[in-house]
Amino acid sequence: MKIRLQKLHCLPMWKRHIHSIFISIICMSVALMVAFTYHQIMPEHSANIALIFILALTIISRYSVGYIYGFVCSVIAVIFINYLFTYPYFELNFTLSGYPITFLVMAIVTVIISTMTSHLTLQADVIAEREKQLAEAEKEKMRANLLRAISHDLRTPLTGIIGNSSLFLENKERLSSEEQADIINNIYKDSHWLLNMVENLLTITRIRGENFTINTSDEPVEEVVSEALQKLHKRYPDAVIQAKIPEEFLLLPMDAILIEQVTINLLENAIIHSTSHLPIELLVENHPDEVSFTVRDYGVGIPKEMLGNLFDGTSYSTSQSADARKGMGIGLSICKTIITAHRGTLIGQNHKNGAEFIFTLPKNK
Amino acid sequence: MTTKIKVLLIEDDKSISTFVATALDSNGHKVTTAASGKEGISLAASFCPDIILLDLGLPDIDGIEVLRQIRSWNNVPVIIISARSKEQDKVTALDMGADDYITKPFGISELMARIRTSMRHSYSRTPDRIYKAKELEINFEKRLIRLEGKEVHLTQIEYQLLTMLAENSGRVLTYSYLMSAIWGPYIDSNNQILRVNMANIRRKIEQNPAQPQYVFTEIGIGYRMLENENI
Repeated sequence: MKIRLQKLHCLPMWKRHIHSIFISIICMSVALMVAFTYHQIMPEHSANIALIFILALTIISRYSVGYIYGFVCSVIAVIFINYLFTYPYFELNFTLSGYPITFLVMAIVTVIISTMTSHLTLQADVIAEREKQLAEAEKEKMRANLLRAISHDLRTPLTGIIGNSSLFLENKERLSSEEQADIINNIYKDSHWLLNMVENLLTITRIRGENFTINTSDEPVEEVVSEALQKLHKRYPDAVIQAKIPEEFLLLPMDAILIEQVTINLLENAIIHSTSHLPIELLVENHPDEVSFTVRDYGVGIPKEMLGNLFDGTSYSTSQSADARKGMGIGLSICKTIITAHRGTLIGQNHKNGAEFIFTLPKNK
Repeated sequence: MTTKIKVLLIEDDKSISTFVATALDSNGHKVTTAASGKEGISLAASFCPDIILLDLGLPDIDGIEVLRQIRSWNNVPVIIISARSKEQDKVTALDMGADDYITKPFGISELMARIRTSMRHSYSRTPDRIYKAKELEINFEKRLIRLEGKEVHLTQIEYQLLTMLAENSGRVLTYSYLMSAIWGPYIDSNNQILRVNMANIRRKIEQNPAQPQYVFTEIGIGYRMLENENI
């Protein structure tokens, strides 16, 4: 009933009234039928019939808006009882002894319950409003975090590019050709770093709206994996990655560009942060309901203090040294967003000899 | 490439057009640049370029429209320069007769390779008789495929697909191009049959389908085969 109630106070006013009328009619009809059946079986216990109607009135007051429905129904109930269930049957007779008491009690019960429930509904409205504000504030906070992470991550390579190019422009004559090559090389590397960042940001634009909906189509896993590896190879020609995929042909519903980006991000993290030259493994495994992708490196592992907030985009700020590239910045939080939008899971953990990130994607049902 | 080719570059960004022009110039090619679509179309007529590099995002006319106008009277190879976010634009351009595309940002070696491939495909009159790259060899006349010297058996459809890619090696072929070339123009737009056949080919010629050496996927666009070494 809680769900229905929440739904009720989200509706526009006229819909709430229609809902209330509907509830009133249903409850009254059911009560009438029950009372009628009961009366046929045991005509002498007419006091219980009033109780049946009071129960119906309670329910109506609880789930309708305002007092009016409860009150109108209580009047109808009193008339029903008088007309159908008290002697003389099928006749209205308000002179019956004790009848005004029945009427009064039923009226008072419905009014009290209506008052209580409308107060309750009001409170629920207030709570819902407050929750909405909190969610809004949370979203605002996330946005601010993301923007801070972005500007931090963008500024770092830009500093390198601006610094190196101004060094080159101002001291060209004094630099040896090796130094010049070094400088240009740094600019080249920094701009590639910047490019990856921008690609990450672009992926966000593919995830639309507040519900993070994405366009999925069935894509062969091997093609997504192979293109990710190919792109990564262009940027890190020396990195060795061992990929293992299932022998069978697997189609998964996904936005291939986004999943490719996740794979690239995780592999790039492994290359940069493992500080090891041992090959990185990319394992794709087929499970009954999902397919899992594991990126495993054999390096230093994830620092303990970062394990708790790997995916919230703030991990770089906690234990940051001057070398911003050690930070994972926005990459992982974007991965998390993408995988969540696919209704999959993403975890990061340490194994015996390094770190591993595992994401899963559900299969088409 | 030893012969001097005439390149028309239609690109509105000054920095990009300068670096591309400088790079092509230093490789001994003759470059003319146009900063708008209209200028590009008129230069395509008057300058008679051997190849056109066309940016899709132009200030005056849409790049696709420029391509359509150029294609209405000319078959000169066109390489699309495009930003990453719009796969659909690339597919549209390719299906409208562009020879290939290159994604911003790109390096000089990548650009030169694309130009070389496009030039070769549009000017070689005789079709290749043998494809060879790394350990893969396809003899088109004998309909024979060898991998590391051992014969590979493909189904009819797989063979058609692979040879089509091999004959256009180095170039991307779109899903819709391959679909209509193999299954005819009336096949429905669901390309899963193509993906399955490609997966089968991969299992027959690639050691590890996750790290292919010969046939590469360009997601959302199509497939590209490793360049023929036998030229």
